[in-house]
Amino acid sequence: MIERITERLARRARWFDVIETRGSSTPVSFANNRLHSITDRHNSGFGVRVNVNGKTGFSYTNDESRLEETADRALALAAWGDEEDFDLPAAAPKPFEPYDTAIESFDPEREIAGIEESIAALRARFPAAMVDADVSASSGSARIINSRGLDASYRSSSYSVRLSATLILDDGTRIETGESASILAPGSHEIFREKIIRKLEAASTPASLGSGKVPVLLSPRAFARFAGIMAAGLNAKSVWKGISPFADRLGEGMFVESLTVRDDPTLADSPYSYPFDDEGIAGTGKLLVDRGTIATFINDLKYAGKLGAAPTGNGTRGYSSLPYPSFSNIIIDPGTETLESIIGSMKRGILVEQFIGLGQSNTITGDFSANLDLAYLIENGKIAGRVKDCMIADNLFKLLKSEIVMSAERERTGSVLAPSALFPALNFTG
Amino acid sequence: MHDRLLSTIECARSLLSSPGCEYAEIRLAAGAGTTISLSGEQVEAFSAGDTISGSVRVLNNGAWGFVSFNDLADIERHFRRALEISSALNPREKTRVRRQAAVRRAFVTEARVPFDAVSLDEKFALISGYNRILKSSARIQTTRAMYRDVRTDYAYLNSEGSEITYDRAYCGVSLSSIAKDGAVIQPFSDSVSGYGGFEIVKGREEAARDVAKTAVDLLSAESVPGGTYRVVADQKLAGVLIHEAFGHLSEADFIHENERLKEIMVLGARFGPDDLSVVDSGGIAGLAGFIPFDDEGTLPAETHLIKNGLLSGRLHSRETAEKMGEETTGNGRAISVMQQPIVRMTNTYIENGAHDRDELVAAAGDGVLAKGFIGGQTNLEMFTFTSGYGHAIKNGRIGAMYRNIQLSGNVFTTLRNIAMIGNDRIMYGGLGGCGKGGQSPLPVSFGGPHLLIKDVLIGGEQ
Repeated sequence: MIERITERLARRARWFDVIETRGSSTPVSFANNRLHSITDRHNSGFGVRVNVNGKTGFSYTNDESRLEETADRALALAAWGDEEDFDLPAAAPKPFEPYDTAIESFDPEREIAGIEESIAALRARFPAAMVDADVSASSGSARIINSRGLDASYRSSSYSVRLSATLILDDGTRIETGESASILAPGSHEIFREKIIRKLEAASTPASLGSGKVPVLLSPRAFARFAGIMAAGLNAKSVWKGISPFADRLGEGMFVESLTVRDDPTLADSPYSYPFDDEGIAGTGKLLVDRGTIATFINDLKYAGKLGAAPTGNGTRGYSSLPYPSFSNIIIDPGTETLESIIGSMKRGILVEQFIGLGQSNTITGDFSANLDLAYLIENGKIAGRVKDCMIADNLFKLLKSEIVMSAERERTGSVLAPSALFPALNFTG
Repeated sequence: MHDRLLSTIECARSLLSSPGCEYAEIRLAAGAGTTISLSGEQVEAFSAGDTISGSVRVLNNGAWGFVSFNDLADIERHFRRALEISSALNPREKTRVRRQAAVRRAFVTEARVPFDAVSLDEKFALISGYNRILKSSARIQTTRAMYRDVRTDYAYLNSEGSEITYDRAYCGVSLSSIAKDGAVIQPFSDSVSGYGGFEIVKGREEAARDVAKTAVDLLSAESVPGGTYRVVADQKLAGVLIHEAFGHLSEADFIHENERLKEIMVLGARFGPDDLSVVDSGGIAGLAGFIPFDDEGTLPAETHLIKNGLLSGRLHSRETAEKMGEETTGNGRAISVMQQPIVRMTNTYIENGAHDRDELVAAAGDGVLAKGFIGGQTNLEMFTFTSGYGHAIKNGRIGAMYRNIQLSGNVFTTLRNIAMIGNDRIMYGGLGGCGKGGQSPLPVSFGGPHLLIKDVLIGGEQ
């Protein structure tokens, strides 16, 4: 298909690349304890990036019959584009594909039976629970062609499950919690039931804690949200714009030594992995923070060029946008203590599972503020009930300098593999 | 109407005339858009593109089957596929939908200056002008000025004989400055969008100047100490508050199959003071949440969610209205043809009360004046709403500037704690929007008059 326009582009552009993405998915949805809908989704599209006289133009379509017009439009739009020059890759390695053929055996009926068992198990323990669930198989492909002769593609697959339960108490108090996973092929999610039941049980007893600076333990899911705030400053785009607080701190110790963070597009069984990025650059693991020291800013070709750095293979795009630097899998090194012993060591503090409104503040400088959607009081080393109608607010970058204790156990939430993390003192307003 | 849609509409009509299931609908769209994004001295993106999309939704034996695609020529196969995947399901509890009379209408966005008639040079010049204003201080580190327009040909058809077309034009700008002083980095943004033409985005120089000035002013502002405050919220923040605090809870898909919540959300229950009234209305042309019909072919209603402090209505899709035995309200919305409609807000607001803003500030005594918004989120009981900036109120007078004001509330207490309602409502809708069920950002607007609220929790330093 793309071949139809390559000659036209080669004639008129200094360089070009074209991305073609295809994807389909079959989500099955349960709402309010029952099967609600089944979907079959297909989409594909083409993005055309050209450089004419040093300036970049871009256009896209998802209508194959309009490829020629799309190429012409990209060429025309280059007149307004940015001056950009960098070398596109001539080849892209493919040591693996984030694809598991077992995705093809996705069986909606079997999945429906599995979810119904989960609903029954949750409602056996909490008869008033309302359970929602989604289970989905998707597969797709990305192909990149460029003016240096690159023609590379890979397949990807993803199986994702989300199960959540809501309890509403007589006074309107709402307890909602869930579990989710995304892997390359259908797998078991039975363990979700037990985890959700444990969280609902712990949340059923009310507790309270007065305002002050208190020890806060973040679950892997909660800590993953913080990793996202930190990572934003490690993006070459914000570094180049001068709005990253780490901009001139490469190689400097900014955080506690126990903190090591990587970006790794080769992580096994993750749909966030890729053999090469959306510009054809090899995806390789790299240290972002090495024992507290700022180690790498992730980039795409444009920002690698602007910062004079080697490309890191983090160029991301769908068919309808230009590439931009983005993380693949973010991996935080574990600590040595077990979660049980960390909780056991806490005299009085809180354990946070879920936030409301995190990230809706000036996170560029690390400031955050959030309501606690689901959090527990810990007293004398034990969970003592749920705290609610309260907030935490602080500066993440200051907190990451403090003596954080990270657990030996880790969990992957979305693209972030993280341990639990105990911060010794954090502003709590209750 | 787009040529490719016309031939598909023919085919859709014949498929829907004998659908082979309880209910079926087909939605088709062809869109074309332009995006210009400037940042500092950079042109981050100047792109134009087009998309086609279609979907089939069938209610078959009490379960929904949904197929979305971008190869319109194959619509017959997609229709069969929707029937096939849904017929394999046999839900214990069946979904039903409210039947409606056929609607046959053709809607066109009214634009004074259609953006299709505006040259790319002129669009570029407009947003470049705003970008220059956004970086007009030496203390501005960088900016982001974005212009976006989308023209969509949309066709909705269903098995009840409805056929609705909509030639829709949506555009907007978003304006951000990021100020910097040593280690302090402070962004500030504003945005405007709506259905219409280039007139929506022209003449926004004042807004750009305000953004740049506020970002710089915020460099020397203090953070609010954490605690519980009397808060005067401005019109924008009052809008976010009602969207998060009550709008989402009014979406009947959260209620219709939840017995406990139905008891709590019973019509006539008290949620606020006597002078609090809240409305959602999709039919207000020009606003970002305007829809001449929803994505289930229902015409929009003006729905009073709260009237004189009492719960008086809620937002419905065909499915939730049928289940609860209430009227449809035209709130079944999808972010695109490729997504299923779910219950969403449109233009949501608090009606005017009796007081001037200055009365509210004076009555606050000591508290916080919170202005503008960054965002908000709810779990349907507790919610947050983050203001752009604010000021201390001391002895009824406006004092020093604050930044980082994130407020928290609870549906069952915060609305009751509204002590005074202003008389100066305005509506607000930008290029962002609302997120639910993975569909984000859906264009909505919200607003209200100034509000004085007691006992609002603000996170911060202890």
